[in-house]
Amino acid sequence: MSSPASSSSGQASSSFHALDERIQRWIWQAGWTELKDAQERAIPIILEGTRDVIIAAATASGKTEAAFLPILTKLLRDEHPMPCALYVSPLKALINDQWGRLETLCESLEVQVTPWHGDISDTKKKRFLKHPRGCILITPESLEGLLMNRGQALKGIFDGLRFCVVDELHAFIDTERGKQMQSLLNRIDFALKRSVPRIGLSATLGEMRLAAEFLRPGAGDKVDIIESKEAGQELKVLVKGYLDLPPRLPDKEIQQQESQGLLVEKEDEVPQGVLAISEQLFKTLRGSNNLIFPNSRGKVELYSDLLRWQCEKLGVPNEFWPHHGSLSKDIREEAEAALKSKERPASAVCTTTLELGIDIGAVKSVAQIGPAPTVASLRQRLGRSGRRKGEPAILRSYNLEGEITPDTPLSDQLREGLVQTIAQIRLLAKGWYEPPRISGKHFSTLIQQLLSLVAQYGGATAAQAWSVLCESGVFPGVTKEEFAELLRGLGEKDVLMQDSTGLLLHGGLGEKLVNHYTFYAAFTSDEEFRIVSGGKTLGSVPVSRPLEVGSYVIFAGRRWQVMGFYPTEKLIEVVPAKGGKPPLFDGMVGKVHDRVRAEMRAVLSDTAPVSFLDKQAVELLAEARSTYARFNLDNESVIQFGNEARIFTWCGDWVNDTLALMLAKKDVKATNEGLCLVVFNAERDRLRDLLYDIANGKPPKPEDLARLIQNKAREKWDGLLTEELLCKSFASSELDVPGAIAAANLAACGIINPRVRGDEGLGR
Amino acid sequence: MNGIKQKDRDAVIQSLRAGVVPRAGQHLIQVGRARELESLIGDIERLADGGSTFRLVIGEYGSGKTFFLNLVRAVGMEKKLVTTSADLNPDRRLHATGGQARSLYAELTRNLSTRTKPDGGALAGIVEKFVAATLTEAKTAGEKPEAAIHRKLESLAEMVNGYDFAAVIAAYWNGFDEGNEQTKSDAIRWLRGEFTTKTDARSALGVRTIVDDATVYDQLKLLARFVRLAGFEGLLICLDEMVNLYKLANTQARNSNYEQLLRILNDSLQGTAEGLGFVLGGTPEFLMDTRRGLYSYPALQSRLAENTFAKQQGLVDFTGPVLRLASLSPEDFFVLLQKLRHVYALGEPSKYLLPDEALPAFMEHCHKRIGEAYFRTPRTTITAFINLMAVLEQNPNATWRELLGQVEVEKDTGAVKELMVEDNSSGGDDELASFKL
Repeated sequence: MSSPASSSSGQASSSFHALDERIQRWIWQAGWTELKDAQERAIPIILEGTRDVIIAAATASGKTEAAFLPILTKLLRDEHPMPCALYVSPLKALINDQWGRLETLCESLEVQVTPWHGDISDTKKKRFLKHPRGCILITPESLEGLLMNRGQALKGIFDGLRFCVVDELHAFIDTERGKQMQSLLNRIDFALKRSVPRIGLSATLGEMRLAAEFLRPGAGDKVDIIESKEAGQELKVLVKGYLDLPPRLPDKEIQQQESQGLLVEKEDEVPQGVLAISEQLFKTLRGSNNLIFPNSRGKVELYSDLLRWQCEKLGVPNEFWPHHGSLSKDIREEAEAALKSKERPASAVCTTTLELGIDIGAVKSVAQIGPAPTVASLRQRLGRSGRRKGEPAILRSYNLEGEITPDTPLSDQLREGLVQTIAQIRLLAKGWYEPPRISGKHFSTLIQQLLSLVAQYGGATAAQAWSVLCESGVFPGVTKEEFAELLRGLGEKDVLMQDSTGLLLHGGLGEKLVNHYTFYAAFTSDEEFRIVSGGKTLGSVPVSRPLEVGSYVIFAGRRWQVMGFYPTEKLIEVVPAKGGKPPLFDGMVGKVHDRVRAEMRAVLSDTAPVSFLDKQAVELLAEARSTYARFNLDNESVIQFGNEARIFTWCGDWVNDTLALMLAKKDVKATNEGLCLVVFNAERDRLRDLLYDIANGKPPKPEDLARLIQNKAREKWDGLLTEELLCKSFASSELDVPGAIAAANLAACGIINPRVRGDEGLGR
Repeated sequence: MNGIKQKDRDAVIQSLRAGVVPRAGQHLIQVGRARELESLIGDIERLADGGSTFRLVIGEYGSGKTFFLNLVRAVGMEKKLVTTSADLNPDRRLHATGGQARSLYAELTRNLSTRTKPDGGALAGIVEKFVAATLTEAKTAGEKPEAAIHRKLESLAEMVNGYDFAAVIAAYWNGFDEGNEQTKSDAIRWLRGEFTTKTDARSALGVRTIVDDATVYDQLKLLARFVRLAGFEGLLICLDEMVNLYKLANTQARNSNYEQLLRILNDSLQGTAEGLGFVLGGTPEFLMDTRRGLYSYPALQSRLAENTFAKQQGLVDFTGPVLRLASLSPEDFFVLLQKLRHVYALGEPSKYLLPDEALPAFMEHCHKRIGEAYFRTPRTTITAFINLMAVLEQNPNATWRELLGQVEVEKDTGAVKELMVEDNSSGGDDELASFKL
């Protein structure tokens, strides 16, 4: 139902003339010569004031004005004494920016604009509550607080609410925050007993229908989608490859020198590949604001240390600041302050904490070391750069790959990291990103919303909670039985209690949770697990992959077997494991989607050159492609490599993890190493038989597979779920049984996928 | 019991039919609870002697707390007390920082009632009476009116916040004296807690303070002293729906409210609040729950603990601060039905719509429908009974026997109904409707 593009000038002027006269005057004064495409088309629809709209356009193409010019017109013409519009944005910085922009316009219109987030003074908020009119710009967390603490007055406050605007809609989809925001908007609709038109502002996405369904759950087909065809933003990409060479001095030498009391030079003890990357970073990034994403806290420390060291060596002020969740607040704030200050350039070496949520202003470029966890997060990171008009978004990618020796693991020979990076960038350029996994249960966010609802209304019955939260379609996967079980689980843990009339109230623990300021956020900042072996901490990693006791992990260049998993202490106990040399690329960063793997295969089986690679990367890719051809991976899916067998499904980690679990049910220890499943001491033909059995046997229940997994709790409130629900939740979002069966079938029959093409609709 | 006024009858029947408590004519349908009422009447007499009282009326949803409170109010007014009442809710509580306590105060002053003005809005009349009474006094004593006013106000000025209170009354007097209506209404507005900024109050009345969240209880104490100066016996404050404090989600907010209650309780037990009485209505949970009820606050628990000795012996003690509303017995309920029939017929037995044998039949029917709870929490059964009579009245051809089988009686779900949703969810028969943790 995309609106037709308007081109005739007649229509153009009609949109302009439909606006309020004062706004027309403002447009003249601002010196605009014409309305942009998106604005032209959005104005008449929004002016109707009843329809949900998504405006999708590139950055700096006037999305905000497209929404706000007609909204302000509506507000000015409204007969209600206090008409208002709600604008929800994921970032405080965006709110501050938008506030600055709207303020100039709204001042002349005498429309009040109120920014509302953690850093805004109470006076401004109180002023709004007294006269709730105009535009209120708010984060989902602050909106949660508003609903919870002013629940009774909500109907009065938003009595004149005319529109809900969601900025950066794409950043909300398929996240806990997104669920939270959907639920909040739904709760507002519910309190007002009418459906407030929603306007989503989004980057152009491949699949706009998903965004529409996200904006208005259950009625996505009625949402108008306005996609601006105007030229988007320029994207500059460079992918550099590096060989991971050992430090100049061998370990022994370093120890010897240290024992003699000599100071070992940094460039001698750091691996040469890492050193080369840090030198390159220093050379290209110094002097501007940038974000550097090395994917784990340990590497954040490593690179920020190296960059600082280089600054000191040259006697220039340090411009590189580490930023991750386990640094103390002081250090993080120092980094944020440095990035915000306009006087000196500063770059942050950071984890996902700076992807969203913390405001640091615009950056010039984004550097990614190794592949990003997902295409969506790559896009998110890239979105931080080139926010100003006319500036391109710049992505620099640095990839370390090992030297190839006879015992180099197959996935290293296939240059998994580099190929994944290339695949991600190609998909990004096509506008594809991981679609939300709609089947997910989102129990964690449901718990938060439930507790918040109880606070909002001073108690609610089970049936009421069900009708407000679930029946509206925000949590579509949850059944009544599951909801009841969830409530019982919460009752057992003293999170909820019930009074004699059946009203649900907060229990002792529930009260503690709700009254803590961290309650408003539906998501947790990235959590890392410490890996401990024999009492010695080896380091810490974010663990996104399912772990079972006895399974293998690769960490710090070695293979380990998991002996115990302690979620409360955030600790994984491991012992060194035997087996072949582990791949350099450990894939612990993020789960790879089916579509990305398919694209990787397409990259490998292709022969055409990739345009955005440097010389070294071109060489690395050529090696990978020759390996691919040598093993005939176009046609072979189970490869014998020494005494281990490798299963190539070319599917995402959901499928691979599930397949590994299914093999585990058949007492075969398979490890998902990303590109392939590795089975030690296995024989290719026997494995094929087994896969055949899996493909043709009775499919296992996903919940039963999930029971094998140790680290099932991943979202903020998962710890409050019963084991049963946790398994369901995990299975619903992390496992793909039909996919695994299909993959097993293909691998078992040795029938080869028709030559894989990246464009195929593998996106599930 | 002849000669029920049409106005009283309508007030009773209409409100009962809507499931709310009548504000007038309660005596017409009062049954049982004689000893509870007696002890409250004792309290009222104590108030009139310059004492103070504090009572928690505890009973289940629908057991008649509000009815009882209103009855007590009516009795209080008869005894020359000034009475007032308010329902607590999340936006009206004893302690707050966001204006919710002032909102409670405003509600209370709006509802101030006397015998001549039983429906609230008596504040202006009380102040007027104070001035008039003082003037007469001054005339007989040969004193200057101004001096008499200030002499009387002196006893107010020594109390907390009393100086400004006295100043406002003096301002009223000035307005009265000079015929300045604006000043008079400003003074009343101040007393009603309607000034929200100190600057406004200062320019209007020359006082430096306003009634705000922190001073609500002190202000009520002043008001109690003042109504005595005006010639009334005392001030009786009825607060209902105390369970809303129990439902406050924020632990700190809840505890602050309990702390305020403790202060009130202490003042009244020690007799320092002169002529001020509190009657509070709440559910057993509000009192007994050790996690979030009053008992979660140790100081209150020890003060409110019931007479264990009496309890062990199966006896009753109506002198403690907690007054448990005994459930109605089936006999009480029978009498209640009789009275309803009587009121409905305007007190004329010849106009009774139902014969005597219909009453036990109705009770039997209710019992079958919702079990033995029907007489304990009579809210819904009364509504059903009145509906039955209304149908009979308008359809003289119908017989009660036919109709009785079709009378729908719902189970009383208490405050839940009043909350947010009209239940449009998929019916009440599924698992969640009767959900238990």
